[in-house]
Amino acid sequence: MTTPTDPDDPSLLVHAYLDGELDPVHALEVERQLDASPALASERDRIEALRGAIRDRLPRETPSPELVRRVEAAIGLAPVPSRSVARAASQPSWRALAASVLLAAIVGSLATWFALHPGPGETTADLMVGNHLRALMAPQPFDVASSDRHTVKPWFNGRIPEAPRVVDLASEGFPLVGGRIDVIGRDPVPTLVYRHRQHLISLTAVPAQALAPLAGGAGAIAGFNTLTWTDNGVAYWAVSDTAAADLAAFEKAFREAGP
Amino acid sequence: MESPRTEDDQARFRSVVLPHLADAYTLARWLTGNRTDAEDVVQEACLRAFRGIGGFAGVNARAWLLTIVRNAAFSWMGKNRPAALVMVDDLEAVEQRQVGDGWQDAGPQTPEAALIAKADAAQLERAIAELPAPFRETLVLRDVAGLDYREIAEATKVPIGTVMSRLARARQRLIAKIGTNEPGTSKPETSKPEMSKPQTSKPQTSKPQTSKPQTSKP
Repeated sequence: MTTPTDPDDPSLLVHAYLDGELDPVHALEVERQLDASPALASERDRIEALRGAIRDRLPRETPSPELVRRVEAAIGLAPVPSRSVARAASQPSWRALAASVLLAAIVGSLATWFALHPGPGETTADLMVGNHLRALMAPQPFDVASSDRHTVKPWFNGRIPEAPRVVDLASEGFPLVGGRIDVIGRDPVPTLVYRHRQHLISLTAVPAQALAPLAGGAGAIAGFNTLTWTDNGVAYWAVSDTAAADLAAFEKAFREAGP
Repeated sequence: MESPRTEDDQARFRSVVLPHLADAYTLARWLTGNRTDAEDVVQEACLRAFRGIGGFAGVNARAWLLTIVRNAAFSWMGKNRPAALVMVDDLEAVEQRQVGDGWQDAGPQTPEAALIAKADAAQLERAIAELPAPFRETLVLRDVAGLDYREIAEATKVPIGTVMSRLARARQRLIAKIGTNEPGTSKPETSKPEMSKPQTSKPQTSKPQTSKPQTSKP
């Protein structure tokens, strides 16, 4: 358990090890020492914590536009100051300023209004598709991965007021792969994730009265098929890129499955 | 007129130097300690980079520019704030003597990793600013600018072994400082006395300079 260098300060090599500066042979040696020495291991933890804090906490400096201009002027690049002076002189500035402030205010408030008041087109289905999309982009489309409904259902308990009905439909060709919590508006809602061949199906269950009265039925948004139905006071939303017919089969299987 | 060449250089400057201006400015700010001076240093460094752009080999623009910034900062400090520059030789002696004990001496008082991880930006900034210049520049080049040891060795003109020990020492000081300092209570430069300590013997061979006899071997 000796290192070829620095027997007096093994931590020196730990720094180099963490910085990725050691060749494999030395790295192996350091790893062995770290395993053997708790003091060294906690020094490693401290160094890592420090590096992380420096990396994440220190604000990034940005050079001021003034500095960029100075630098460019110093080497004769792009005489920016004179150009902006020329442009400013060619226009009655206060009027332009007032007009642009007014325009910005109008555009800004309109944008806010539209964002906060989605038109009738912005439906719960859109939100469901959004959640499904988000899940597909995440490293994994579920928070709990299990094909066992006795694992998935208890997982929801304690996270949301009411755990959804969880059935395994593997025999019907829709194996359960997991579950996650989505957010609709500001409410957490349970979503089950099933698989059908290579397609994932997100099935979100919401107490029916929590949502606007359901039109029900099938739809398609942004290339995803949606299907919604109400059963026992619970509104179900299924979203998937699988065929609409498969979704319908999924609904049928889900409805008919035993508790 | 040599205008074609100048235009060439300007285009090169645009693609080689300007993308790294933020990094250059960050480094300059850490080395000089404030934004106004950092701007002067960056401008000077950019002038130097422009003059030398023909000699740039095209390997690592960032390390190349940061080296120039570092050198510009040093001559700027030499001109404007000579007192801030520590005699590197003295420092080296202190550092060589202390590096060996640092991580063990710290012992039980050394804070937990969790405490360090919670340090806020102001605390970190203060602790880094209080580091002696050679430690600070090594730490900033590595942990802020992300240069590797070889690039740092070239930028600061010291052997890689020195880069390693400076970096280790700088981090050990930060760890000790961040763990013991409550936010908002910074003590002014505790390391000053150490640095002015006379060098009594060759550092490489004399370890037990500190009061505590060092017996532990890994």
